Amino acid sequence: MTPRAFSAGLLILGGALAAWSAMRLDPGSLYLLSEVVVIMILAQMWNLLAGYAGQISLGHQLFVGLGGYALFLAANNTGVPIWIWLALAPVLAGALAIPLGMVVFHLKHAYFAVGMWVAAEIVAALVLKWSWTGGSAGLILRPGGESMTSNPERVIFFGLAFGLVALVVALRAFLASDTGLALLGMRDNPQAAEASGVNVRRMHLLVFVISAMGCAAAGAAYYVNALYISPSDAFQMNWLIAMMFVTVIGGLGTLTGPILGTVLFIAIREVMTNAGYSGGTYWIVIGALAVVVLLVAPRGLWPAIQDLTDYTKRKAFR
Amino acid sequence: MTPVGPLFQANGVTKRFGGFTAVSGVDLTLGTGESVGVIGPNGAGKSTLLGLIVGSLRADAGTLELEGRDMSRLSLPDRVQGGIARAAQIPQTFARLTVRENLRLPAVFGARLHGAEASDWVDEVLTLTGLTDHAGAVAGELGLLSRKRLELAKAVAARPRLLLLDEIAAGLTQHEIETMIGLVKSLRSDRAIVWVEHIPFALRETCERLVVLDKGEKILDGAFATVWEDERLQSVYMGVADHAAA
Repeated sequence: MTPRAFSAGLLILGGALAAWSAMRLDPGSLYLLSEVVVIMILAQMWNLLAGYAGQISLGHQLFVGLGGYALFLAANNTGVPIWIWLALAPVLAGALAIPLGMVVFHLKHAYFAVGMWVAAEIVAALVLKWSWTGGSAGLILRPGGESMTSNPERVIFFGLAFGLVALVVALRAFLASDTGLALLGMRDNPQAAEASGVNVRRMHLLVFVISAMGCAAAGAAYYVNALYISPSDAFQMNWLIAMMFVTVIGGLGTLTGPILGTVLFIAIREVMTNAGYSGGTYWIVIGALAVVVLLVAPRGLWPAIQDLTDYTKRKAFR
Repeated sequence: MTPVGPLFQANGVTKRFGGFTAVSGVDLTLGTGESVGVIGPNGAGKSTLLGLIVGSLRADAGTLELEGRDMSRLSLPDRVQGGIARAAQIPQTFARLTVRENLRLPAVFGARLHGAEASDWVDEVLTLTGLTDHAGAVAGELGLLSRKRLELAKAVAARPRLLLLDEIAAGLTQHEIETMIGLVKSLRSDRAIVWVEHIPFALRETCERLVVLDKGEKILDGAFATVWEDERLQSVYMGVADHAAA
């Protein structure tokens, strides 16, 4: 099967599954599944920057919050339908990411990571203090100043799920292109990439902007579903921890890893919460799992599974 | 259109690290098809000079021109696109990419080729550098000679007008060095080459001109045989003048 046919098949299958689920499942399940897809998209975006471009950001919750707030403020203060703002929120976050990236990429490694964290905290503090952003009380989604008449979860879920499939297909195509090859080369050896004529700084900025847009889109969709946004929720560190955890556990620098990690993350959380463990107890199990995985399979679970199947295949041929 | 004047011209190139002057006011002029060997004791500034020309280091003073175009302020990737490439002393390869992919990067981003044009050029470079049999191998698993060849091939794949070679034969066996010499000879025709190397016969075989650096300064520059016989070269290496006085 050609890569193109595979991509088309994946898109059609994913689209059909997303449409079927959106129509048939109950609102509660759709809300949970939407969150699963949101984390998968966020992790995929964080992974693009960390796993492929080698830039560890500790401030990507910034873009989740920006996407959500951009949509709420724009939708509440104009009569334009929220679907249009859903499409524009990531564009706005991407536009803001360009000057931000030009500043934070002057910092290297750990300084970049902390610089992003500081940027996220500054924006969160501003949103908390300003009155036009609703302050600490947050905002309720009232498009054009009127209450929502119907719950948006079916359309939102379809958009998110189809968006995730399209994103994975697009990332596969990107990594197979010459620009993607440059990204893989930079991951191996940034100096050699520059010596081959690759503008590493520009590539970093490109990937940074893409990851900001993806996080903003996922954040905007998530908070439309929630109908309510507040600074302490939208800019919380837990967004970042979820992105990092699922990527590192699943397999940094792989497209399947973040998907696998998210399934594990949500499964542990739901099983433990249903079993009666309150609040954030599940984080203890998740933290312990992270430590075990990093000790046993430092590259993450998905590469470990691949090694294992390669090994059994080789054995079978003997 | 024939370019007027030399292919490459460096004037007064200087680099200081703190109070230490690594390269001091070096001038260098090269024409198309010219190969220049650069020798000098350890710490003479040979590798630093190549770094300043390709742009991995920033010069504190001096100008660089390639085909009449000022390259002094350009970044490393812009200079590679502009026609300067260096094969580094320690091979700088992409360990997890195949040999073919290692060469596609400079072909696409350095030589600005696209699609099938880039693939054809990569095949040509593979043949030229004798790496065709390793085309599908992952670079991190290559032996030293193959990695040195790949480093040279990457520089060639960028289609430079000025090719800088930094000790590409160091650490190789006699037979392997001869292979490298053959390779460099085949590359000479339509570009200029600057080869820094400690192996005299390699330079004698490939370079008609020889430059001697000592303590960051260019002390000799001329026909290979003339410079080779010059007593100042002997004093640089034997330390005759310096140590006799001390």
